[in-house]
Amino acid sequence: MKILIAISSKEYSKPTLQVGMWAAKAFNASVTIAYVGQKISAFGTSDVGLAQESIAKWGIERPGVQVLEWAFNYLAENKYITPETAKAGFQRNTLVDRGKNRVELHLKGNYCEGVDLILRRGDIIPELRNEVAQNGYDITIIGRSKKRRMAHDLVQYIDSSIYIARDLAPPEGHRLLQAVDDSKGTAKALVYGSQVAKAFKMPVDVLTVSKRESFGKGYMGAHKKALRAFEKVGIKPVSILKVGDPVSEVIKTATAKHLIVMGVSHLNPIVKFFKGSKPLKVINQCNSPVLIVK
Amino acid sequence: MQYPQLLNSTIYWLTQKRWLLFAFIVALALFLLPTPSGLSLSGYRILIIVIIALTLIITESLPLPGIAFIIIILEVYFGIGDANSIARSFMNDAVFFIMGSLMLAVAIVRQGWDKRIALGIIKLTGNKTHRVAFGFAAISAVLASFVGEHTVAAIMLPIALTLIKYTSKDRKKVRRLSAYLLFSIAYGSLIGSVGTPSGGGRNVILIHYWQEFGMPQISYLEWMKFAYPLILIQIPILSWILWKNFPPEKTVLDTGIRRLKTKVANSNQITTKQITALIIFFMVFLGWVFLSETVGLGIIALTGVVMYLITGCVTWDDLHKHVNWGVILLFGATISMGAQINHTGAAEWLANNVIKFGGELMTSVPIFTDGLVILLTTFLANVLSSSATVAVLGPITLNLPGDSTHIGLVMAISSAFGYFTAVAAPACTIIYASGLVKARDFLKAGWKIGLISIILLIIYANTYWAIIN
Repeated sequence: MKILIAISSKEYSKPTLQVGMWAAKAFNASVTIAYVGQKISAFGTSDVGLAQESIAKWGIERPGVQVLEWAFNYLAENKYITPETAKAGFQRNTLVDRGKNRVELHLKGNYCEGVDLILRRGDIIPELRNEVAQNGYDITIIGRSKKRRMAHDLVQYIDSSIYIARDLAPPEGHRLLQAVDDSKGTAKALVYGSQVAKAFKMPVDVLTVSKRESFGKGYMGAHKKALRAFEKVGIKPVSILKVGDPVSEVIKTATAKHLIVMGVSHLNPIVKFFKGSKPLKVINQCNSPVLIVK
Repeated sequence: MQYPQLLNSTIYWLTQKRWLLFAFIVALALFLLPTPSGLSLSGYRILIIVIIALTLIITESLPLPGIAFIIIILEVYFGIGDANSIARSFMNDAVFFIMGSLMLAVAIVRQGWDKRIALGIIKLTGNKTHRVAFGFAAISAVLASFVGEHTVAAIMLPIALTLIKYTSKDRKKVRRLSAYLLFSIAYGSLIGSVGTPSGGGRNVILIHYWQEFGMPQISYLEWMKFAYPLILIQIPILSWILWKNFPPEKTVLDTGIRRLKTKVANSNQITTKQITALIIFFMVFLGWVFLSETVGLGIIALTGVVMYLITGCVTWDDLHKHVNWGVILLFGATISMGAQINHTGAAEWLANNVIKFGGELMTSVPIFTDGLVILLTTFLANVLSSSATVAVLGPITLNLPGDSTHIGLVMAISSAFGYFTAVAAPACTIIYASGLVKARDFLKAGWKIGLISIILLIIYANTYWAIIN
């Protein structure tokens, strides 16, 4: 498994990094921690590059390196990297420019396969989209943004599952809320949900919401299949069947201690672009962390 | 690729290229409309290209070379000129100068003079914050007037950042101090960049237009006589406004200065290469002063580049890596576009409409024309870039009533008023990329400096220039 963790600053990104590294440890995944710096006008890119080389000669790191250093210290303190790597400290001079707007530092992982710290510069969505396209990540983990279209663009354009992290959410004492219907997305979401619940030994609530009073065959079949999937990994899930608007019911059911897992919507991309989708509405309206599985 | 993925990728492409599509839709609509009265067909079509180019440059929806190629190919497809004539208008001494000046910047920054400049500033200013900031602004302005603002900002930035780092490790505790010092460099460089023709590509573009349109020209030293006093007036005003806008957390930088002094004192002895590089630059400067009217500023700049390459002061790999070839192509294309705006009569048509708009004020009150040119240039320079602004506006403003030297210089000087945004000039982009100043900081200090600069330029151009003429 390959996980991409997008961080912005040490003030706001700790929960994101924490969740990402827990997941990496649980699934023995390889991790890339990415900082995307502000976009520079095309007129100034060469001048900025020249200035930053001069700055480096004075022993001053370029913007974003401090954030990577903070991430390195977090990894070292929590033993996510090997003791030798941690002891050597954050080696600024080993940051390698790989071209294509990507500067990276590879670290040997302790529990996970390996950790790459990378710097990119530009608009966040295109940069993350390029990173995912070039390196094929399974999950992109990112903190909630105040920008209105951010969640929409993440879900619409990033070609990996998306985890929107909220405040610090330790797996202990938390429950997993698996939203289930008869859509194509639910099946894959179920695989992820059961793996996460098993890895973190999380109690599970399986929620199916019907818009009509009676539950159809499809919905009930999907619900039962979900219950069985969790039982197979040794977890006895709580079955919740509700009637009403699916988005509202998911939000009402989720507490601050829930991690919501949903499948991506398979609506036509044009419809999703203009009208949004259920997962997107849940991300925007709910205060719990959400994993949208693609 | 499956159908939904293909559709999603198409939607993504459309959202990323929405301004490109907008530009072409507007252009197509204009293309289908009848030509305005009094304007030739080719004049109308070049104005359509201007609209496309401005939209694309401002929104950066295509890489700069892509925009340059669009301008060139449309000039041919629209029948404004044939391929050879467009190619000829694309390359000229102004483009040589922009290319040479970008290369000279790399060669100069590579020499490691920054530590000696730092030592010089410290010796001159002492450790009081306002004096250090004034020193930064003044040195940046003077240097930028000869070598260009992008070079100076690249040289001065590490000095300021080191001083900030030595003053406090916690950047948040010295946020205002950081802004104060960094804006002193960026705005100082901007102010200085109009001091001589070699201070910026836009100055050379203007000189090229004067030549191209058969207008009176001024020498390197005459340009300095017109512009330099304004720089000397602006520096203390700039320093005062920045001091008031970003009152620094520390009024004395004793620890920072002491540590900086120790760091630069430990730098190596001056090398033969550094001396060679200095001599070459001095020769280039002499060439600009005494030979530019004969051989052109661009040829002299390229001569300097060749000398740097011969003496090994810089390598071609370094030049190739750090020169923004996209900027060179784009300026070539915008200058070509500017020439066509003039040749097709579009410039005259636009100028006449401006005169109609201004009425009698345009001819009876010269200050009104100055004000209009300054406002338009300042606005465009802040959203476009200063050189592109002069390249596009030059042919129009030079067709306005009044002395072409006066109006040209007013435009060139006001194109340096890029105080409001981080994209206006490379110096602003360089300090913005340091991460220590925010986009809103540019507006916070910029509007005051901008307003004062506009008023100052109107008074200066109509008093001092009248006296020396």
